[in-house]
Amino acid sequence: MENKLDKRMKYVKTEVNIDDKLYLNRWKPDHQSHLEIIDPAVCAEKCEGKDCTVFCPARVYEWRDGRIAVGYEGCLECGACRIGCPHGNIRWRYPRGGYGVQFRLA
Amino acid sequence: MVHILVCVKQVPDTTEVRIDPATNTLDRSSAPAIINPYDSHAVEEAVRIKEQFGGKVTVISMGPPNAAEVIKRCITMGADEGYLLSDRMFAGSDTLATSYILAKGIEIISRREPIDLILCGKQAIDGDTAQVGPGIARRLGLPQLTYVNKVAEVEPDKGEIKVHRKLDDAYEVVIAKLPCLITVEKEINELRYASLPDMIRAARYQPGVLGAADLEADAAMMGLKGSPTSVTRIFAPTQRGQGEVLKGDVSQVVSQLIDKLSTKISQNN
Amino acid sequence: MPEKFDVIVVGAGVAGLAAAYKLAKEGLSVIVIERGDYPGAKNVMGGVLYRAMMEEIIPEFWKEAPLQRPVVEQRFWLMDEESVVTTGYKGQQWAREPYNCFTVFRGQFDQWFARKCTEAGAVIINETVVESCIVENERVVGVRTNRPDGDLYANVVVLADGVNSLLSKQLGFHDEWKPQQVALAVMEELKLPSEVIEERFNLEPGMGATIEIFGSGTLGLVGTAFIYTNKEHISIGVGALLSQIRQMKVRPYDLLENLKNHPMVRPLIRQGEPVEYYAHLIPEGGYNAIPRLVGNGVVVVGDAAQLVNGIHREGSNLAMTSGRLAAEAIIRAHRMGEFNERSLSHYEEQLRNSFVIEDLKKYKNTSHLFEVNPQYFNKYIPATNMALHEMLTVDGVSKKDKQKLILQRLLNGSSLYSLGKDLYQAWRAVK
Repeated sequence: MENKLDKRMKYVKTEVNIDDKLYLNRWKPDHQSHLEIIDPAVCAEKCEGKDCTVFCPARVYEWRDGRIAVGYEGCLECGACRIGCPHGNIRWRYPRGGYGVQFRLA
Repeated sequence: MVHILVCVKQVPDTTEVRIDPATNTLDRSSAPAIINPYDSHAVEEAVRIKEQFGGKVTVISMGPPNAAEVIKRCITMGADEGYLLSDRMFAGSDTLATSYILAKGIEIISRREPIDLILCGKQAIDGDTAQVGPGIARRLGLPQLTYVNKVAEVEPDKGEIKVHRKLDDAYEVVIAKLPCLITVEKEINELRYASLPDMIRAARYQPGVLGAADLEADAAMMGLKGSPTSVTRIFAPTQRGQGEVLKGDVSQVVSQLIDKLSTKISQNN
Repeated sequence: MPEKFDVIVVGAGVAGLAAAYKLAKEGLSVIVIERGDYPGAKNVMGGVLYRAMMEEIIPEFWKEAPLQRPVVEQRFWLMDEESVVTTGYKGQQWAREPYNCFTVFRGQFDQWFARKCTEAGAVIINETVVESCIVENERVVGVRTNRPDGDLYANVVVLADGVNSLLSKQLGFHDEWKPQQVALAVMEELKLPSEVIEERFNLEPGMGATIEIFGSGTLGLVGTAFIYTNKEHISIGVGALLSQIRQMKVRPYDLLENLKNHPMVRPLIRQGEPVEYYAHLIPEGGYNAIPRLVGNGVVVVGDAAQLVNGIHREGSNLAMTSGRLAAEAIIRAHRMGEFNERSLSHYEEQLRNSFVIEDLKKYKNTSHLFEVNPQYFNKYIPATNMALHEMLTVDGVSKKDKQKLILQRLLNGSSLYSLGKDLYQAWRAVK
């Protein structure tokens, strides 16, 4: 999964640790996931790019042991994965009311 | 029918309090105000008892005007009514003065509607003292049952309650006469997910406010005047050294341990 | 029997709150249902709040609302890898009351706005997700929330549920957005002392500046980077069409990191301590993506209706105006006692007559043009930098030769005709 812009991204000195960024936010994690892979076989067999593991701004999705692992606890609730999944394979809901990220500023 | 009173406190969400690395002090500014988590379990337990026997749950809180928010939170959980004890004269109260003010408030409320049972969280997450609940019980002359993790039986007709008190390695079953005061652990129950009608009722609810004059209280017992506690210093505890793991079979480990301990003792002498 | 309101508003952003405020002021019973811990907890705006449209809802709001800084300067950067061509406008008129626009923290502003709604008589419920509309006999009659006993009924439901717009999609008002109809933006707040911010941005105390960055900020992807000054924070962010981010296999936070370390940006934010990190979608579909706005007992407002002017980076003003116009139409329908599509379509008529749809119509082909012609971002911006670099670097080459050289490198193999065509098309798209 080569980043086609790597060469032009000349000012990224070290790999960004997304956990450091997510740690800044206030979270009220639910014990149940609001994100669901509809058919894991589609990820494994039909999806070459695994694009969600790259474009998700919270790195919620990771390809591990032949399946997509969903770290919903760190989801920023933007909705990009639902729209961006090339196979429409992500069932996306809002977290239950009162759960998930709670922004203070912005 | 039972009338249960719950004492709740508004606290900064300590999971959000950051420690300023330069000064080692707590930066509370960014932390939102929440209901003390132990207290929310006290409210839940009160509502469950009410649902079983019928009656009423009243909450009280001492704090600034915006602490009305925690009372509204209790309404979402099924509490029927709430009072905010709020007055400039209360500011700076330590646990001694706070228990005095809350006890006065409870007296006022119980004069209108006698109270069968008082519930508190076992402690607040900002101070961790666990003193206010017992303080109230002592002032009102009520039996106190602390660290309760289960209400086993309530018998309003007999005027009795049976609870489990959490001990280090067991629990203790205690029966007490009502009215009494109970402080609860978090594991006593699972909080409910509030219903929409309760959310709407809470959004419209305005708690009654009682000031120092309403409480017929002694000014010398409240606020800074009534607070003998003084904070001299706040510091981060020093890190404890790493432990050491001894390896081998039992007799080897024991002899190693004896060696080490005797060396320590001789060093200290 | 569940309670019935005159109006249910889904979502406490500026669109929903604008509608709720107007309706409550008129004496209608209104409930706002918000999924965050408090209004603003889920809202992200890489943008400014415009005074004029907000004053149509609450006159002189700026005297009491929690605002960050009045914006007195708007800069535009065409940024290349090692250089930038700058332009912009700074005006003392904007430093005086009643001001033009403000930077705000939505986490604070929306709570204030919601309080105003409560004072006006609206009921605001937080921490509650509306999962669907209740539809009976082909009309929306209420909403179903995720809470126990969670059904609620009303004459009209205002869908102000934001860019993801799940509810109007459920109603069949639009299909799922396509990756080229939304931009994915990431942003950070960096904490810095206010004097440092004022010195670096050349500002009088309390005044603010914004910078919109085109070109290298998004590595040439169709989108923008931006820097806004708040009281004691700098917002810095970058957004690009989701389709392009996906296609180029770029991590959004890498884009942000690259921006923060760009030599043109770095000195402005030096030692800024990150305190919060955000991601959000921005509607970019423009005029052509506007969904059905009105149905029996239901209207759609704000981001949920794709009401964002991507070219001018305006969104909150369109949102609050749509909320206000929806409220006016509902008040009218309330008087008539009829809440069907026909009576509520007054909202759509008014919206079409307002600047909201007029502006979106004007730019209806612009986003598409930039998307299918990436040269505007990845070729002409570097070329502009190159041209100015050449003209301003004094090295003994005659100006006439420099012009030749510039044109040669500008064309870079393509014809003068195609350059002319691109320029003409760009002009047509924004004229």
